[in-house]
Amino acid sequence: MAKVYAALMLTVVLLLCATAPADAGEELVLIVSAQSNIDGLDSSLVRKLFLGLTVNQLGSRLRPVLNESDDRIKELFLQNVVSMSDSTYDRYILRLSLLQGRTQPTVFKDKKKLIDDIAADPSAVGYVWAKDVAHDARVKIVRVLWHD
Amino acid sequence: MGCMRQAGILATPHPWLSGVFAALLASLSAPTALAEHQHTSNEFEVFVAAEGLAGSGQPRRRDDDAWFNADVIFGMTREKFRVFGEYFITSAEHDLERFQVGYELIPDTTVWVGRFHQPASAWNTEHHHGRYLQTAITRPAIENWEDEEGLIPQHITGVLVESRRPLGREAGLQVSGGIGASPTLSTDGYSPISLIDSNPGRHGLSFTARLAYLPEYIGTSSTGLLYGHDSVFLRSAAALAALGSSRATLGIYGAYADLAVGDWRFIGTAYYVDIQLDGPGRDESFVSGYIQAERQLPYRLTTYARAEDSARMQKSRYVSLFDDRSGDIDITLRRLAGGLRWDYARRQALSLELSHVVSLDKRAYEARFQWSAAIP
Repeated sequence: MAKVYAALMLTVVLLLCATAPADAGEELVLIVSAQSNIDGLDSSLVRKLFLGLTVNQLGSRLRPVLNESDDRIKELFLQNVVSMSDSTYDRYILRLSLLQGRTQPTVFKDKKKLIDDIAADPSAVGYVWAKDVAHDARVKIVRVLWHD
Repeated sequence: MGCMRQAGILATPHPWLSGVFAALLASLSAPTALAEHQHTSNEFEVFVAAEGLAGSGQPRRRDDDAWFNADVIFGMTREKFRVFGEYFITSAEHDLERFQVGYELIPDTTVWVGRFHQPASAWNTEHHHGRYLQTAITRPAIENWEDEEGLIPQHITGVLVESRRPLGREAGLQVSGGIGASPTLSTDGYSPISLIDSNPGRHGLSFTARLAYLPEYIGTSSTGLLYGHDSVFLRSAAALAALGSSRATLGIYGAYADLAVGDWRFIGTAYYVDIQLDGPGRDESFVSGYIQAERQLPYRLTTYARAEDSARMQKSRYVSLFDDRSGDIDITLRRLAGGLRWDYARRQALSLELSHVVSLDKRAYEARFQWSAAIP
């Protein structure tokens, strides 16, 4: 009976381990091209950038890139970077073009294309899961936006 | 809508303008990624709306109450240079409302040359012609465009400077100033400078400005002061006879607040308009203002209410020039409006608005239903 109980307990423990969140310990990070001179951006500049205002750093005018490859990333971006609901941010971004002819940030649904785009342009700034760029020498992390 | 063309929407504008549009559209269709790496970016957005209107006391739909309209925004940014335009199309008319070429001197300070919306309008500088971005279906009457019997000139051609500067750690200061040619005035209302048609009559000078305090530099709330000085030449015998003057000088003094507090938004504006007439004509003035409250509700619903009021408008000979005696409502003295908006899908909304309007010579109840969207 003791053996059966131990086996049951072991099974439960294994099942619990198997159902643990896959993204435990994950980080959402801000990235730029490895060619960029930027080594860090404070949170107010990041917010300003993604709200469509002009941000110049080390002589370079930064270009924001939105990552919509993953619903969770979008949710974390809205909560932690711009502090707006989805619809409010969407209307805010739309207003930019109407008010001043400002360009809306480029949206990527595919994370590989987003990383390629940022890697190729030293002025581009975007955000991805840290694990997706951990071994990519073409880009560098300049800020942790959120961690589990 | 400025001075809209009374032609069909397929009418061909001037050849040089067609060339400009073709060049812009060609540049807009260029591969985006390549353009971005050259630090050039393009913008192309269309705001569309369709509206149904019913009511009592209003014998027919107003000229400007077209059942369908589309506001086409196009722009191009290359380093510090910008080109920007707004082309407005309704089921009956179309016009190039704004066309501006700008240079960003320093971050968030831009000098524009072209035709622009004068910065002393609290509502129009926020919403322009696109219906989707304004919560209400109707705009306050004092903010009407020139071809909606608007009483204040809205489209100026000249130079516009816009700047936003930080104030302390959080706040900001926004300054906008424009100088240029103001519209002429006939019995059809104002005629601003047209970029695609001839411009009969003499255009006076316009100075307009806005000074706004932003509680948050990168927020949406602001409060500020508005100033306008427009020299308007009259170019019809009837207008000359009615006013006994060939020129009117409008002094516009206003204050506004547009505040977002949690799920609430409050917009309030008041204008004092002073009208000085050359010659023996008697000078006049009137006051107009409005307040609108909006509340976001669950399920992407937003409810709103607006009250508009005025003083001394009905006694003004200048204001009466804008009433074409056509039987429809041209000059709104007071209005109470309330409505509900439902953002049922991404970039699409349905709205219902009920209002009671008091005009120079009648009262009316109106019910409007609107679908609006932004594409893409």
